[in-house]
Amino acid sequence: MSFFVPGIVLEQRKEPMLSRDMVMMKPDSLRTFQNPFEEILPQELRPEEITEVARLADIIDESDGRSLYEELIEADKRGVDAVIADAIDDEPFISSQLNIALHEPEKIALALELCAKAVHADLSKIYVAVYRHVFDITIRIPKKLAGVEVMRFGGRYPAETRAYNKFRKEKNTLTVGTGALLHLVRAAERGISQTSCFVTVAGDAIANPRNVEVPVGTPVSEMLRFCGLAADPETVIVGGSMTGRSISDPEEEKVGVMTRGVLAFRESYKSLGYICIGCGRCDHACPEGLSASQLRRFAEFGRRDLLELYDVDRCIGCGSCSYVCPSRLDIGTTIFAAKRSLAAEKALAEKGGAAE
Amino acid sequence: MNEHGLILQNAPHVRTSESLFTVMGDMIVAMAPLYVIAWFYYGPRALLLGLTGAATAWVLDMLSVLACGRRPDLRDLSAVVTGLLIPLLMPASIPYYVVVTACIVAILAVKFPFGGTGNNLFNPAAVGFAFTAICWPELVFSYPAPMQELAVAGEVAAKTAVSPAHNLMLGAIPSLDLFDMILGNAAGPMGATNILVILACGLYLLVRRTIGWRAPLSFLLVSGLMAMMWPRSPFGTFSSVGWELCSGMLLFGVVFMITEPVTSPKRGFAKVLYGATSGAVVMLFRYFGGFEDGFVFALILMNVFAPLFDRVCENVLHKIRHGTLLPKNFAPGAENPPKEKKKLPKPSLKKKTETEVGA
Repeated sequence: MSFFVPGIVLEQRKEPMLSRDMVMMKPDSLRTFQNPFEEILPQELRPEEITEVARLADIIDESDGRSLYEELIEADKRGVDAVIADAIDDEPFISSQLNIALHEPEKIALALELCAKAVHADLSKIYVAVYRHVFDITIRIPKKLAGVEVMRFGGRYPAETRAYNKFRKEKNTLTVGTGALLHLVRAAERGISQTSCFVTVAGDAIANPRNVEVPVGTPVSEMLRFCGLAADPETVIVGGSMTGRSISDPEEEKVGVMTRGVLAFRESYKSLGYICIGCGRCDHACPEGLSASQLRRFAEFGRRDLLELYDVDRCIGCGSCSYVCPSRLDIGTTIFAAKRSLAAEKALAEKGGAAE
Repeated sequence: MNEHGLILQNAPHVRTSESLFTVMGDMIVAMAPLYVIAWFYYGPRALLLGLTGAATAWVLDMLSVLACGRRPDLRDLSAVVTGLLIPLLMPASIPYYVVVTACIVAILAVKFPFGGTGNNLFNPAAVGFAFTAICWPELVFSYPAPMQELAVAGEVAAKTAVSPAHNLMLGAIPSLDLFDMILGNAAGPMGATNILVILACGLYLLVRRTIGWRAPLSFLLVSGLMAMMWPRSPFGTFSSVGWELCSGMLLFGVVFMITEPVTSPKRGFAKVLYGATSGAVVMLFRYFGGFEDGFVFALILMNVFAPLFDRVCENVLHKIRHGTLLPKNFAPGAENPPKEKKKLPKPSLKKKTETEVGA
């Protein structure tokens, strides 16, 4: 298998977090809003009332950072065939979306129905998308979650991009993160607005790894204290283990709406100080089929023409190339930075051209 | 480390446990059985040759790193791999100074001037061997018969035997059994005769993903095909394939040298191309070359083209990614161009016939 398919095999290590329920860090932090449809059962809400609830509750879709209200309006305009709950947590440790899907399936099913109603889609065409990997033998994902069909994505690491590409290619779909769906149900049932987000706290320095619901703006250090530190961490990461960023001060760093994970590791990976020997493993790992080894070289030498020929703009920043590198070079970050600066330069040039 | 005791690092924060140390270590592990077999056939001299090569190459590499003003890294085993490869390409009776010379050329002429590990243009072991093959052809290509213990030091008085590769070059049928050949009981380079062991080592490296399968496979396919079509000695097509692939240093080179990461192309298709052309060039060297085995020379020649193959492959891939590989007229539904195409040649044909009739 590994000889022919691009991508990388990652150990998922989600088991301790998934086997436990989501825990609320500050239960008294929930805020209600003035809900004009308080008397109506969620199932009986009319489409425009559902969108209104999403607007009043300030729900933001954690999978892409857009407001759910805008997403619903836009999806209604273009017409949608299917509504999909995004529970694809493809990065190791991160399981906040999948945890919601597994532990609160009834609410997700109800929220999917509400969304489908709001965009005038077929109520039977709702799905929950999950990532299932060969390493997750201990995790059981049923074929149906509270009557909603589960779409499984297997295979290698960057599954989320692959899944989204598939949704885009096959049909008109609306994809909403499970966190936003849970907030929608809460808003419709009890008039609670979104003030919290769902975060996986894990890593080998955490004593009690689990999924936590925290108010937005909570300092990272508070969450680490809540789950307990088994050892002094050498690195603390906000975001996923593949794409997140390491932070310098856990007291200053606050959790945002799109934060899905806080990880603490006992040891940082050690930079080895090697140089590239051109083994080509990064080229083979790239899910987009780009030549990562050459792109890194061009990015270092600032060869814009070659960066364009080698299609640097197709980099999705998944970090697979850096993961496999036996020299532990920061291939992914170098290429992604080059992609961004090139795009910025282009945008600037276009702007300048328009001004002239 | 900052004031909070935290280290800042770039994503991804999990990395593979493999490193250059393990990659090079794999190569050394894979070469160890070959040395054991060589010890069995030729006595402890085989091991000493390996030690000499590895020590010379490693010391020279460390010194050259120092000369560049960098800190030497004890975990960098690539020079050891080079030093271990060179004796395996030579007969067990080779004098120690030949191995040392080959290592000096490999490190100081091929690796050091280009910037050390990861930057060399040519396979260091191949160039080192090629240098000695030109300087001392009578030593490098005269093989002792197997199953005799060679003197460890001093003048080696060994019973020599004609290697199957030499037999094939003369257009003769080797006197050996092909089965003996596969077990390595044949005269030849110290580490390149034990076909079964080499195959097992290759399998190990493949499974560990230290080497790829593309270049070796295409190499064997092309060279096997050429051996089948143009046998050098008067025997059947299939035994010709067997003899050609098993003789000389072909299989050893396919497993250990053509897969060398630094000098081979990076892209999958470029690797296939590289392997196929190398296979063809090796066979051409065998048909028309002066030496009994031209693998090393073919490898050096093809190293030159490795970046070119990569670039060609990338250009094609770029066009595939943008959907511009085929001209626009080929795209289905693009203003029905086939009709226009048919219309165009017809009038010209008619005109021609008319003029012909008129004339």
